[in-house]
Amino acid sequence: MQAPEAMAEPLIRMAQISKSYGNVQALQDVDFEVREREIVGLLGDNGAGKSTLIKVLSGAVRATSGKIYIRGQQVEIRNTTDAIAHGIETIYQDSALVTQLSIARNLFLGREPIMAPGFLNRMDQAAMATVARDLLRQVGIEKNIPPDTPISALSGGERQAVAIARAMHFDSDLIILDEPTNNLGVAETQGVLRFVRSARDSGHSCIFIAHNIHHVFQVVDRIVVMRRGRVVADAIDPRQTSVEAVEQVITGMAHAPASAPARPG
Amino acid sequence: MPERSLLERLIARPELGPLVLLILEIGVFWAINPDFLSPQNIANTLAFTVELGLIALSMTLLMTSGEFDLSVGSLFGFAPVLMWTLFNAGATSLEIAFVIAVVVAALIGLVNGLFVTRLKIPSFLVTLGMLLVVRGTALFITDGFPQRTWSAEGQWLAETLVGDFQLGPFRLYMSLFWFAAAALILGYILTQTRAGNWIQASGGNPAAALARGVNVTGTKIRLFMLSATMAAFAGIISSIRTSAANPNSGTGYELEVIAMVVIGGTALSGGRGTIIGTVLGVFILRVMRNGIVLIGVPGLAYNIFIGVIILGMMALHSWLERRHHAGT
Ligand SMILES: Nc1ncnc2c1ncn2[C@@H]1O[C@H](COP(=O)(O)OP(=O)(O)O)[C@@H](O)[C@H]1O
Ligand SMILES: [Mg+2]
Repeated sequence: MQAPEAMAEPLIRMAQISKSYGNVQALQDVDFEVREREIVGLLGDNGAGKSTLIKVLSGAVRATSGKIYIRGQQVEIRNTTDAIAHGIETIYQDSALVTQLSIARNLFLGREPIMAPGFLNRMDQAAMATVARDLLRQVGIEKNIPPDTPISALSGGERQAVAIARAMHFDSDLIILDEPTNNLGVAETQGVLRFVRSARDSGHSCIFIAHNIHHVFQVVDRIVVMRRGRVVADAIDPRQTSVEAVEQVITGMAHAPASAPARPG
Repeated sequence: MPERSLLERLIARPELGPLVLLILEIGVFWAINPDFLSPQNIANTLAFTVELGLIALSMTLLMTSGEFDLSVGSLFGFAPVLMWTLFNAGATSLEIAFVIAVVVAALIGLVNGLFVTRLKIPSFLVTLGMLLVVRGTALFITDGFPQRTWSAEGQWLAETLVGDFQLGPFRLYMSLFWFAAAALILGYILTQTRAGNWIQASGGNPAAALARGVNVTGTKIRLFMLSATMAAFAGIISSIRTSAANPNSGTGYELEVIAMVVIGGTALSGGRGTIIGTVLGVFILRVMRNGIVLIGVPGLAYNIFIGVIILGMMALHSWLERRHHAGT
């Protein structure tokens, strides 16, 4: 008999995921889970397979084999629409934004608030602007950027912040951030880190991929390390492990520390 | 980036260039020949303007969604031919013939939309094929001869569509009000409604729009249907006003309409569109056509001027675009 605690299903479970591009084996029999309200840091050298793994989850690429479970139910994720419908939101640099549209219109794209007595589904643009201002402040944009500014007039970091603001506002269960702090200024980076921390408090789970291992240590509950398409460590507790030890696991100079018996969550 | 001043906002708008051009154009023609602004000439220009203008309005939304429609000119000729053939043969009343012509046009738009969205064929090829099918059908059912239309006299439908009336010194056609109403409604849809947001997103970044749950396919199909319906409606209005349903009418209109739309500032590549700009673009080309004849330039030179205007406005829009993004 298992304790009820151990039987609780993880939010996401990926089982035996493999992906090959021609004869490049990008992922090989990867098992990976994210629990409810858990922030997982995914580390590994360039080419280790981190992006490919999360692309399988976000519907951007399809695995060659393997299964995905959400709260114990097996699901098919064929495209990004499927992933969003399952509460999985991925933040890429800017491909998810319509550059011609304003910040406010992008934030609410597909979920526009409609004026109650309106004609032909008139959008409540005043409400959209108010929420947009508020969200931009929360993700650390200190400059006063009007919400009707087109995305094409924003810097890479500002675009990132808009994408993050959108994931925050429309409660996704799992928010995936693949190198979200690249090209960001100091204030913007702090905004992203603050957001990741607050995501757990508001009931979200997160997968956080970053080059800067110190950023990962600051915010995550658990670190998973990949090397050459395989998971080589999946239970590193950043509070009990040093940055140097994790760096050695990443480069393959040391074996993974023994799995911590008590997992967070 | 602080809130911009009213003047800066005005200058940043894509409609400013076309507005200045239109004012200049009117000023030059008026200086050369004061008759240009006579009530009769204004009324004349307006009558022709709105028929192409109706098509340009729906083309603006379609082009904002990233597609365009080359079959509008052929529908402009085909729809009135169908309507008058049915009516003259005694098959239906004029009202029923009108409804049938408009519904058939909408179905043709539906076919355009399905080919583009489901079979992923570029709209250039789909609507080019449809242009030939529709024009060919119009010629085939009429043997190439114009249809009788004079029995329109006194029909309430004809009065509602193109009836004329005197407003002060101006003799105006009802079609002017249809154009104004269409401009107001389509401008409202594009800028204020959810549908408008989806139209812009479908043209700007269809993959991102799709990922947010936007119905890109449905949005585009509806716009193809709107475009075909408007072309049919404009063709019927024109046939009643000129008392002629000619299977060849509307030839070449598709390119003139697309020129009107891009001169106004709507992007050919999609994502950005402006109804105000299109209204200005419509007037720029129609005033040019009317004005050069009035000041004694041979009408055959018209295309030279149109070509120069298109090239000049494209250069201006692209320069504004780059300047707008220079600071980032
Ligand atoms: N579209 C692709 N076509 C071919 N090979 C790819 C493609 N995407 C990734 N790869 C390969 O898969 C491996 C894993 O890449 P990736 O997941 O991007 O690694 P990471 O994000 O950890 O740096 C690399 O060897 C990479 O070259
Ligand atoms: Mg990567």
